[in-house]
Amino acid sequence: MLYEGTKLAWRAISRNMLRSFLTVLGVVIGVAAVIAMVTIGNGTTAQVKSELSRLGTNTLFVRPGQWGPGRASTEAKRFTDKDVLAMQDQVSGLRAVAPINRGTATVIAGGANHSTSVIGTNNDYLIAQDWDLSIGRQFLPNEDRGSQAACIIGQTVRKELFGSADPVGQNIRVSNVACPVVGVLAAKGQSGMGDDQDDTVIMPLKLHQRRIGGTTTISSIILSAQDGVSTAKVQSDVEGLLRERRKIALGREDDFSVNDMSQIAAAMTGTTMLLTGLLGAVAAVSLLVGGIGIMNIMLVSVTERTREIGIRLAIGALENQVLTQFLVEAVMLSIFGGVTGILAGLALAYGVVTLLGVPFAASPTIILVAFAFSAAIGMVFGYFPARRAAQLNPIEALRHE
Amino acid sequence: MPPLISFDKVSKYYGRGEATIRALDQVDFAISAGEFVAIMGPSGSGKSTAMNIIGGLDVPSSGDYLFQGVPTSGFNRAQLTLLRRHMLGFVFQGFNLLARTSAVENVELPLVYRGMDPRERRRRALAALEQVGLGGRADHTTQELSGGQQQRVAIARAIVTDPAVLLADEPTGNLDTKTSNEIMDLITRLNRDNGITVIMVTHEEDIAAYGRRLLRFVDGHLVSDEHRAREMDHAV
Repeated sequence: MLYEGTKLAWRAISRNMLRSFLTVLGVVIGVAAVIAMVTIGNGTTAQVKSELSRLGTNTLFVRPGQWGPGRASTEAKRFTDKDVLAMQDQVSGLRAVAPINRGTATVIAGGANHSTSVIGTNNDYLIAQDWDLSIGRQFLPNEDRGSQAACIIGQTVRKELFGSADPVGQNIRVSNVACPVVGVLAAKGQSGMGDDQDDTVIMPLKLHQRRIGGTTTISSIILSAQDGVSTAKVQSDVEGLLRERRKIALGREDDFSVNDMSQIAAAMTGTTMLLTGLLGAVAAVSLLVGGIGIMNIMLVSVTERTREIGIRLAIGALENQVLTQFLVEAVMLSIFGGVTGILAGLALAYGVVTLLGVPFAASPTIILVAFAFSAAIGMVFGYFPARRAAQLNPIEALRHE
Repeated sequence: MPPLISFDKVSKYYGRGEATIRALDQVDFAISAGEFVAIMGPSGSGKSTAMNIIGGLDVPSSGDYLFQGVPTSGFNRAQLTLLRRHMLGFVFQGFNLLARTSAVENVELPLVYRGMDPRERRRRALAALEQVGLGGRADHTTQELSGGQQQRVAIARAIVTDPAVLLADEPTGNLDTKTSNEIMDLITRLNRDNGITVIMVTHEEDIAAYGRRLLRFVDGHLVSDEHRAREMDHAV
């Protein structure tokens, strides 16, 4: 009976292909939205995770204020050179301590100019970020102290300013600071957030503070623990040191935060999940509207086919058999919409991840769930019209013109 | 052995109070297996109501309709459906075939609801089409067939289940005289050769004359019940 029902349903649907498609458009859009969103989200997460694993788990981020899931960074005292020195001297097991100040500036070389991000830091930054130089050298001690200007540029900046020419030894102007290029970073590509990591200029912290930031403080510090050293231990040591240096009374909350990558990843995932929830709600509304569309068209179909239903009932179809026929038709319609939506969603996601340069990570689970959900929609919204068909009075149905 | 079909003081009312219409009023009759009964009467006489009750499509307001001696008054909708499915075949004035569906699929339809194996179903449907003289048109859709051919398909659909009774409601109402006679010859042959009981509603005397018994209804009453020799036997 189910096989017969499927055959009949397919015939009824294909007879009115355009109408069937318009009917299920709501389901198509809803399912496509869910599939695209989840697939893109998965891709981004996978990208972030692979980046994190490349960075290693022994990296710690130190920032003023509290930072984490559900917390905005609050106004808090920034760090100083002395904090950095204290960490280097008093915390054991550290491989790199890199102060970081960020800014943006226009960089000029010859006739070319380019707006980019400018990072003020030290050589440890390259260690902590596991970043090699493709040509040139790191900062010399006198450059690090700020008595001599020097810049290391990223691949994108090199391309924009120098094309294929060798930039080492050339002068660039960073926000009117004349600065000789001493090295070029190896290419790194896009980050998990989709921005170009090679679009950057690195200069010694002192130079950055004086000429770009106009400050004497430090906005964040990256730490890298030595291999075999517990990051948790380093984290608590650094926290203890900073509490002491910042004179935080016992029982008061930290006015800074020290996070490792997994904590940052958890925060990112939290944001993604919130977004997923919101989009999921939109998709649910779309699916509801789609279901009502299916119910509406099934009611029309029952009215149009009153006579056919009368014939079937007269020659011996039980109520259940007519009910099954129309239910199968509704379920088939919505599955048709669901499958179309899955394909459309995957195609959309593929386009977007290609654009973002993120891996394409389709989740079989969500595809199965979308499929089952669309079938369930047909079942729920098809039941009322199907029952109406099954309960028709055969005499009146046969008289229907 | 009880009669195949019997009406025991069957009444059917529509509406209530002053406006009540007595479509059937205390009607008694019995039909035995193998009979060919024509039912006549002006419109509103109750003949269609009687037919609907025999067909299990309607139920009496009072009295009882017995099928093979079994009272049907306690039957629910599903039981009436099973009575139709297993015992009755229907032929309607308007043919009532499924549109855009081939002849053989139309004939198969009652067997589908019996849950019969598709191959066996197809074999029986083709045999039934052969029997009504449409063996060569099994794959034609309803729209590709003439009125007479459509009614033949409807007859094939009615007899494919080997029913005890063939119920024909104005089977020639939409057909010209020549085609009408051909259809009536077919029905007569099914009654005589296959032993199918035929009950037919008509308002044409010459069509009714194919029957061997004639029930006349007027205003919800059965007013006459004539048995007669088959006039058209020689024509078959």
